[in-house]
Amino acid sequence: MVDEETIRDWFCREVLPLERSLARFIGRNWRVADDVMDLTHDVYELAIAGARREMPRNTRQYLFTVARNHLINSAKRARVVSFELVADLEAAPLEVDLFETDRHLDAREALRRFQAGLDKLSPRIREIVTLRKVEGFNINETAERLGIGKDAVNHQLAMGMKALADHMLGGAGRIVRRKYPGRAAKEDGA
Amino acid sequence: MSCAQEARDRAALWVVAREQDDWSESDQAALDAWLAESDMNKAAYWRLDHSWREADRIGALGRNESRRQEPSPRGRWWVPAALAASLTLVAGAGFYRSWQADQRQSIAQVRYDTPVGGHRKVGLPDGSRIELNTASAVRAAVGKAKREIWLDRGEAYFEVAHKEGRPFVVHAGSRTVTVLGTKFSVRRDGGKVIVSVLEGRVRVDDVANVHAVRSTIISGGDIALARGAATLVTARSDTRVEDALAWRAGMLSFDQSRLADVAAEFNRYNEKQMVVTDSTVSNIRIGGMFPAAKPDDFVRLLRDAYGLRVEETGREMKISS
Repeated sequence: MVDEETIRDWFCREVLPLERSLARFIGRNWRVADDVMDLTHDVYELAIAGARREMPRNTRQYLFTVARNHLINSAKRARVVSFELVADLEAAPLEVDLFETDRHLDAREALRRFQAGLDKLSPRIREIVTLRKVEGFNINETAERLGIGKDAVNHQLAMGMKALADHMLGGAGRIVRRKYPGRAAKEDGA
Repeated sequence: MSCAQEARDRAALWVVAREQDDWSESDQAALDAWLAESDMNKAAYWRLDHSWREADRIGALGRNESRRQEPSPRGRWWVPAALAASLTLVAGAGFYRSWQADQRQSIAQVRYDTPVGGHRKVGLPDGSRIELNTASAVRAAVGKAKREIWLDRGEAYFEVAHKEGRPFVVHAGSRTVTVLGTKFSVRRDGGKVIVSVLEGRVRVDDVANVHAVRSTIISGGDIALARGAATLVTARSDTRVEDALAWRAGMLSFDQSRLADVAAEFNRYNEKQMVVTDSTVSNIRIGGMFPAAKPDDFVRLLRDAYGLRVEETGREMKISS
């Protein structure tokens, strides 16, 4: 058994920087875009459980293998995704470049990402996040300053935090998606 | 809600709570217990905590600079929705100054809304105009570098003043609509977003999932229907767009629509609700233009033209064969 501190450290240092490529991989192979975030978290969950038994030697290879197996299992279970996809995934070699060096964000890049992420928030949430991060206000002070309830501050700070995490870890990722003809018409014609 | 979604939401609240002064040992014990419940909880918490700390380091960078500038004096900040019918200006916030050049100008956010049956026209400082349909609410933040609108509910028509380099962005649920100068309307209906373009071109982006930003460009005469991950653009038809915008003249326009849909459309505008009770009647096709505020006239017409039975109670009109 590997201890939790080691796993947490490994997760933050080696797994999280791969989020962008992981989400792109899932997005390419799964037709429901809304599921990507959930699937990413499923993969994290499985990866942590596996690492507890034995730390992987190559994190990238390990993570994408977990992801591929999870997609195959989910597709079989859900029956939403066509079996062609399962066949594709099973037959195709992993589409990841295992030798690609993982890019850790340097401070400047992280700052740029953070600003871009802030920019995408609605003005109110942006304000609340800025009060917290720049001015160091706590919930009470923020609530007083803005004349709104503490619950509202709590809730919106949490929303801002999630949006920023998505943006900083994966936001710049773009997905080139397979075409599934007729899908839009089917879904909207109902 | 999915398991991951729930874990994410809980994790975010934990991270917020843990930073507060009143964080106690028993709180820590509760957090530890929650983390021990599953690796999903751990993944969600570690991930948010990590990236939130990254942001902290950055916050520290900006602090010195923002301290130098006192926040500009301001009036009231945020006004509860109950007061939203009145127009409230939110004065600028000095804090952003260290962040981004385009945020140097104070961002004023204004909220406009209409009650059921309401219709309202408002002008924005940049010369653009918004026309709100029934039961709708928007917030507008017009800055020097960017013009942003949030359609919180309902439907709005936009006439955008052309400004080079100052994009006009409408956020509607899972979609954002970006334009430079054009006339179009956006309607939110549950998870569905409908964009009708009268003139010019707009770009509709799917932003529900940050990993999958996809764009659809539509131009004058097009209607885009977006739901979930799908965006459907209907064939070019100026008449259909004009029909979709008939509400601006207080009219509802239908072209062989099912009676059930027609009733739902009327119900958007009136407290008194039209209820269609059986499926044969729901499928009757209706065409024509009708005043939105007069469902009674429309129902009378139905009775005379189709021989349908109408039962009226205080708040409802039941229509059956």
